[in-house]
Amino acid sequence: MEVAISAAIGAGRELLDRFGEQLTTTSKESARDIVSDADFAAENCAIEIVRHHFPDARVLSEEKGETGNKDAQDYWIIDALDGSVNYIHQVPLFSVSVAHFRGGRVQAGSIYLPLADDVYYAAKGLGAFKNKRALRVREVPLEDSLFAASFSGKSFDPASRDLEFIAFGKVNDASCGCLRTGSAALNLAFLAEGRLNGCWGKATKHWDIAAGLLLAEEAGALVEATSATDNGTKLNYIAAPASNFRFLANQVRICF
Amino acid sequence: MSGSKGKLLIYGAGAIGRGYLPWIFPPEQYEYIYVEANRILRGLIQERGVFTTYMTTVDGRYLQRTMNVKSCLGPGQEVKWLGEVDAIITAVGPRNFSALRERLVGTRIPIVCCENDATLAEQMRNWTGNDNIVFAVPDVITSNTASKELLAKDPLAIITEHGSCFIDSAMTPHLPGECQYVDNRELARQWLAKLYVHNTPHCIAAYLGSLIGVQYLHQAMEHPGVVAVVEGSMNEMVAMLDTREEMSKSFLTFYRDKELARFSNPLLFDPIERVAREPFRKLEPRERLLGAAQLCLAAGVIPANTLVGIVAAFYFDSVNDPDAHIRYLRRSMSPEEFLRIVFKLNQSEALFILLVERWSEILKQLEELKVER
Repeated sequence: MEVAISAAIGAGRELLDRFGEQLTTTSKESARDIVSDADFAAENCAIEIVRHHFPDARVLSEEKGETGNKDAQDYWIIDALDGSVNYIHQVPLFSVSVAHFRGGRVQAGSIYLPLADDVYYAAKGLGAFKNKRALRVREVPLEDSLFAASFSGKSFDPASRDLEFIAFGKVNDASCGCLRTGSAALNLAFLAEGRLNGCWGKATKHWDIAAGLLLAEEAGALVEATSATDNGTKLNYIAAPASNFRFLANQVRICF
Repeated sequence: MSGSKGKLLIYGAGAIGRGYLPWIFPPEQYEYIYVEANRILRGLIQERGVFTTYMTTVDGRYLQRTMNVKSCLGPGQEVKWLGEVDAIITAVGPRNFSALRERLVGTRIPIVCCENDATLAEQMRNWTGNDNIVFAVPDVITSNTASKELLAKDPLAIITEHGSCFIDSAMTPHLPGECQYVDNRELARQWLAKLYVHNTPHCIAAYLGSLIGVQYLHQAMEHPGVVAVVEGSMNEMVAMLDTREEMSKSFLTFYRDKELARFSNPLLFDPIERVAREPFRKLEPRERLLGAAQLCLAAGVIPANTLVGIVAAFYFDSVNDPDAHIRYLRRSMSPEEFLRIVFKLNQSEALFILLVERWSEILKQLEELKVER
């Protein structure tokens, strides 16, 4: 967990240094799927920190893919910038996510919000925390709940995209609202903290949510994650306190 | 007060609740009903129905008082008593205090808050609409346990020193006892002295004691290096408070002089783990460590020894403590990140700068303390 925290903060420092600068960007799958030189700098920093502690570490990261000892049972998943579009547009909602896996299961993770200078962290069985505070999800009535959604990429399943927007609308209208913050990791951190009362995503990249799903679970949320692709690199997920889980699942499973 | 004996509802059957209150609200005058969240402790009290509290004397003996407990209840079970008790006393610790809010809404019974946070009584007044809630300052060190010999006789044995309890005089007609009923001004003065001249060096002694690996506070005070830091911090607090209008030099000198002997009392068996617990709470911005250091700097006092205590608090490492996660943060961050992210200290403020500048030197000093032992 300590290495996850260190790596997340280190990457965040790189993002902060470049925030607001003119960046070189490239589109990947779509105009909303952008990578900038800040991404690369942050990712390199996070990987370097992990490798400083575990020289042989197997690392899966968004930009570099898989590096290190590919036979290692332990591996790290790094998303050095979740919320790239926000970052480039200087919308202050972006985060860094670092997760450690053993035997295919997430063991520890950290999410750092560079502009808020807040670090969220969790380890299996140890609980979830933000800075010095232990976290617990907040159970509130549906009409007082606030949710957040992560939509799939435009090219993922165009024929079914309308179902996502319908689900979004239903969740939005039954509650205090449904946000689309642009950072799935941030959504899950806020859920663990009790600021949000449920979140979901379709075909979300697993490096975006690996740490966040653990955080949410350790903070007491019910979490469901299923593969959206054959190779498991994209997940459909639902995370919410018990009081909201069934409602959310009933609305969103239709688009999975 | 109804009948021949009053009834007290006491939230918290720990150090103050069991160890000290029976000496100031004696069993000849009051029946005791406890509400205790700790299942094991509650079960033991329910099973035995009686416990022994010991008070140390200046000539090295123990006075003894046996307490028959009318009832020891779990949280929420006390509702039926709320119409019958004469007063409520809280001694649950600042972190557990807000859990009382819902249960006390609507009650008009007088409430005395024996908590290490002067703001809590007012918070409870705002939450409940009950104006009959006051703050009290038990100027006393009470362990939450006892020596092996005393525990062998009674597993619920508990030890306190003799000390005064200062209570807001508004409580005089409702809760007569062996206390000093004082006005707000005096209560505030006693609280400041307790928070900074007692609580600050007391917890520093505990953090240093934890570092050198001893179990009880008096053992930590056998170490000259620890005493030097503790006494140094106490002098810094006195120098800081001396700049305040409501404090007199004579009062501060009297207060300081009585403190060190108390910390070294070998009869108290006060566990380091109790005094050091919840370091994050003690490191809150307006509390006894970082808050105290800030006030020192504002008063033109360099809190060199208090800074040593602060770093020792950062290194408090107890797996059973609710704030055990401090270790993950400390190990994963640089000192600057640790102060900035975890404690939200501003990088341009004096306390941040001093701590960062002195960090390595303080760590070396702490290492030397461990070796010297």
